[in-house]
Amino acid sequence: METKIERNTFGKRLGSMLKVDFRRMFTMPLIYIVLAACLVAPILITVMVTMMEGSVTVNPQTGAESVMEGFDSAWQIIGTVSGEASADAAAGMSMDITTMCNINMLYFAIAALVCIFVSADFRSGYAKNLFTVRAKKTDYVISKTLVCFVGGALMIFAFFIGSLLGGAISGLPFDMVGFGVFELIMCILSKMILVSVFVPIYLIMSVVGKQRLWLSLILSFMVGMFLFMMIPMLTPLNSGIMNVVLCLTGGALFGVGLGAISNTVLKKTALV
Amino acid sequence: MNAIEIRNLTKNFGPKQALSGLNMTVPQGVIYGFIGENGSGKSTTEKIICGLIHESGGSVKLYGKPHTDADVRAKIGVLIEAPGCFSSYSVWNNMKLQAANLGIKNADEEIIKVLKLVRMEGAASNKYKNCSLGMKQRIGIAMALLGNPTLLVLDEPINGLDADGMRIMREVLVDITKNGCTVVVSSHILSELEKIATHYGIVRGGKMLCEMTAEELEASCRTYVALKAQDTNRAKMILGCKYSRVEEDEAGYIRVYDMTTPEEIVTHLYENGILVSEIKTDKIGLEEYYIDLMKEGKR
Repeated sequence: METKIERNTFGKRLGSMLKVDFRRMFTMPLIYIVLAACLVAPILITVMVTMMEGSVTVNPQTGAESVMEGFDSAWQIIGTVSGEASADAAAGMSMDITTMCNINMLYFAIAALVCIFVSADFRSGYAKNLFTVRAKKTDYVISKTLVCFVGGALMIFAFFIGSLLGGAISGLPFDMVGFGVFELIMCILSKMILVSVFVPIYLIMSVVGKQRLWLSLILSFMVGMFLFMMIPMLTPLNSGIMNVVLCLTGGALFGVGLGAISNTVLKKTALV
Repeated sequence: MNAIEIRNLTKNFGPKQALSGLNMTVPQGVIYGFIGENGSGKSTTEKIICGLIHESGGSVKLYGKPHTDADVRAKIGVLIEAPGCFSSYSVWNNMKLQAANLGIKNADEEIIKVLKLVRMEGAASNKYKNCSLGMKQRIGIAMALLGNPTLLVLDEPINGLDADGMRIMREVLVDITKNGCTVVVSSHILSELEKIATHYGIVRGGKMLCEMTAEELEASCRTYVALKAQDTNRAKMILGCKYSRVEEDEAGYIRVYDMTTPEEIVTHLYENGILVSEIKTDKIGLEEYYIDLMKEGKR
């Protein structure tokens, strides 16, 4: 019996690697745990914040009273209309629970997904098998970027669905003030596409850390922090096509530029 | 054309030189036993051959082409350190992943073929994490065999295996070479390696001490006379006065390595009042040859 091997072209190699990576991503329990968490977290957040709304806490040292703020609408956990966030920040309200616990937190959770997914390749020795035989580093970087992007975008979408459910359960108003359905769709789309900016960053950190997951995570969180502030600015609730295009452009630039760096890191460093 | 041809290979890890001008020639279709102490540079050489780490200098050619050549790399199968499997996956699924990465179209048939070759066809549905060490090593070899490689690089494949595991592994490696596959295998268990290797390369301090065929090793392994006498210490002393190299082995035999006959030794001891209770002639094996070589190297 003769072994039939497909031609060793870029397309064929990338195709087979994508097939393997998608299969891996969607057969590992982690992705389902993460997606379930993304679905449940906004429900828990909205329900709990709504329940606690209006409760008064007293600082035992200063005696100062503070009243727990709740969500004004179901969309607040997704984002704010552009201008609102800066106005809130100027008013010193930017650190309350309604602005902290929102969809933007997911960009850190995506770091964990990417780091765990990539470091598993190195910890198991799978990457070693991969690079010895047929795969090229470029194929690896492209494949990982695409698969992690899909995983991350699904997380955003799951959180969005969870937010709708949470809003409905908590009885929050679904009034769209300053934006419409189209803008909301563009906002979610922008947020999903924005994942493509973060994934290449986390991928570099993962290939730097290789089997040292802790290092990949620390580096990813540290570097991700620098870009965290741009998320609400780039993806407000009243997003338009321009926001989508901006995120797409950013994703393409980061993907190519940082992908090339990941590729160089893989080429210049030992794989075992 | 040789399967592997390495010239003046050097590798530095910071200030430490792991390889210092290593030369290595592996003909096609042989089982090449790659021997050396811990840290002598065996694994480093194998990793460079497989493209897992980069050399600092020198050249590595596989089938006459640079080892970085994609076509040549597609001919390599590797088992270095661990097999590279996901522990939560079944053996079959791990094999499927590797087959997909290799672009094998008839993956199922291929997987069955290689699993049969390593006597693992019955364990395909087992989870990888539930496999024994011996099974894992064989799975690693099966994965390395996917895609019909012509060169197999195995790093310590028999480490940690029990006697039965070693026997199976031995049989597997011999079966593989029947199809013309070249196998480079490093191991510390020289007695096992001796049973299968057709060629040897002995490395020390990042340099190749010597390369030889099994026949050349056989020819260069000295014969010795081993005996047991009534008074071992006195017998050793008397023999030591006449012969240049007399040693006592772990089993309590006195070994005389000089060119001599058992009759001559028995007579000499008898003349000195010592009776010999047992005497035989034997040849030193790979292990002793290697130890001798290392001692000479140190001297």
